[in-house]
Amino acid sequence: MSPTPEQPHPVTVEERLFSLVLALIATQIGLTKADILSTVQGYRQRFRVGGDNASLERQFERDKDDIRELGIPLETIESQGDPGSNHHLRYRIPKGLYDLPADIAFSPDEIMLLKLAAAVWREGSLSAESRRALTKLNSLGIDSSDPVIGYAPSLRAREASFEPLGKAMDRGQVVAFLYLKPGESAPRRRVIAPLAVVLHEGRWHLYGADQDAGANRTFLLARIVGPVVTVPGRTIAPAEDGQGERALAELDALWQAQVALITVEPGSDAAVRLSKRGEPGPAEDSVELHYTDVNILADELAGYGPEVYVFSPPTLIDAVLDRLRRVRDSHAPLPETPRPEAAR
Amino acid sequence: MTAAKAAAFGASDKLTFLLSLVPYLMDHDRVSVTAVADHFGVTPERVRDAVNLIAMSGVPGETRQYLHGDLFDIQWDEFETNDNIVLTHLVAIDDSPRFSAREAAALIAGLQYLSALPENGDRDAIATLMAKLTRSSTGAPSQLAVSRTDADVAISVIQAAVRAGTQVEFDYLNARGTDEHRCVDPLRIESVDSDWYLRGWCHLREAMRTFRLDRMSNLRSTDVPADSHDDGVILPDTLFQGSADDLTVTIELPAAALELLADYAPVPHGPAAAEGLSRAEVRVSHFHGLKRLVSGLAGVVTVLDPGPARQTVADWAAAGAARYESAAHSEPAAGAPH
Repeated sequence: MSPTPEQPHPVTVEERLFSLVLALIATQIGLTKADILSTVQGYRQRFRVGGDNASLERQFERDKDDIRELGIPLETIESQGDPGSNHHLRYRIPKGLYDLPADIAFSPDEIMLLKLAAAVWREGSLSAESRRALTKLNSLGIDSSDPVIGYAPSLRAREASFEPLGKAMDRGQVVAFLYLKPGESAPRRRVIAPLAVVLHEGRWHLYGADQDAGANRTFLLARIVGPVVTVPGRTIAPAEDGQGERALAELDALWQAQVALITVEPGSDAAVRLSKRGEPGPAEDSVELHYTDVNILADELAGYGPEVYVFSPPTLIDAVLDRLRRVRDSHAPLPETPRPEAAR
Repeated sequence: MTAAKAAAFGASDKLTFLLSLVPYLMDHDRVSVTAVADHFGVTPERVRDAVNLIAMSGVPGETRQYLHGDLFDIQWDEFETNDNIVLTHLVAIDDSPRFSAREAAALIAGLQYLSALPENGDRDAIATLMAKLTRSSTGAPSQLAVSRTDADVAISVIQAAVRAGTQVEFDYLNARGTDEHRCVDPLRIESVDSDWYLRGWCHLREAMRTFRLDRMSNLRSTDVPADSHDDGVILPDTLFQGSADDLTVTIELPAAALELLADYAPVPHGPAAAEGLSRAEVRVSHFHGLKRLVSGLAGVVTVLDPGPARQTVADWAAAGAARYESAAHSEPAAGAPH
């Protein structure tokens, strides 16, 4: 039933990648690129002895990246007698680093919890990552405990910068992006070594080393405008553990330190929702709200229109009033001119 | 809740499945295709495709010819006749692969989010699990963290009612500003980031409804059994559904800002007169939600028509601004900070 190697059949991408992984795990000393292209299923069918294999080589480079993205430790070994030579590089996957550590085991309760954790990501790139993680977990053959019924917590990361920042963090790359700082009218280019991406008070933040300022800074993902690009040739050592916790601790401290005093109209939407979130203030119907970013709180409070009145701080009063005026003025009645769409 | 579709099952997913299936089959001497499909949550066809591929794969070997002994093998009769899988020869791999740094990070961040919720109060168990994931990944999991939040007690009350199959009662202030007493058969409690929603059968409206937890007051559980909704009524996947009575509103905004309104499923409607802006249509059940939404996005979204929608927004913002412009200093002194 085995295939006859001489008879070529169309080799799918997954068959080529699977064959490459098997070949690189099976070798102790590693395979050279020439070995791989001429012998491994999916490459050998297209390999031309003594010919131009440039496109096949590019294919191999992409496959290598794809395999590494899946957490498979594909190593490059330099030839001892000929360091720096590309032709004698050898590739392999050390089995000890590929295999899940032997002492790792998960209980049925843990599997249930991990399934729930994976389901938290219902959209975006992390949903695909979670799904692949679950496939690997399933390979252990442990059945899950009964799931919690009627319970569907979810997180989302809709900011376009989320995925490129994550990739840059994994690869230790420095990135650049345009950032519209709250309260400023024009975006400014920032060059950042990303250290952590954290969710705080329902918003995603980037914590990173600002290469120009020479200090760590926190950025709101929602205020990154335009693409996140990697800065060629600039890499950093992988971030130490605990950067996420450090970023959250800084945001918590900021949140604790900043407090707004507002009053809410009794019985209004603002009264019901904001009273739950804040603490009662000194007067009736007054609420104290902690916050991290005055502009974000101002956006939210402006949405409540006349249901909220801000007492302090003055910067928040100005920011809310400015927003309400802008909305009011930009919604002045339109002149009565026939619109082209309406004519159709 | 648009774009919630699962991403396509690509080559990376297929490779992961192949590498995961081998150790599973090794641990199960004889297993049916359907049992494997159930365990991995995939279709039986996908399992058969994978087994066919594995059984013909291997390593080039000494001869570099992929000879029989260099390939995986299965009992073909069992597979083709009885739809059972019996792996008889292994090549190169015999263990589960490690997680990638990103995969581990996704699960760890998911766990951090869950750990703030009442159902998963066992912090130690979650910390142990996170440590296991870290040790099981290739490279340190990337730094992705989720802050702890104070979970609403309403979550546990409703969850207990879902489990017990009993009704809950509460006062609910809807977006129009109407406060009504509701009795609801709770079916599911959902969250999106920091917002929580109860989905269930509303006895007042006699229909499936979605309620924001932060708009509820005086929530209490009852002993009244919830009706069975197993048959007939289906809980849709999306939190919000349009209705035939919805009003269509034309708005103007920067194209990049469309994402901010994803919950309202805006339909792009061509470029606007001003440079860099585009037009879109959104459907809303009434203008009261719209005025709150637009006022919270000052300088981003402008309502073009219909006229009454535009007017409702203008009036709302004007009333808000008027409180500061006319009466800023005549507010009761008791409310001023000390």
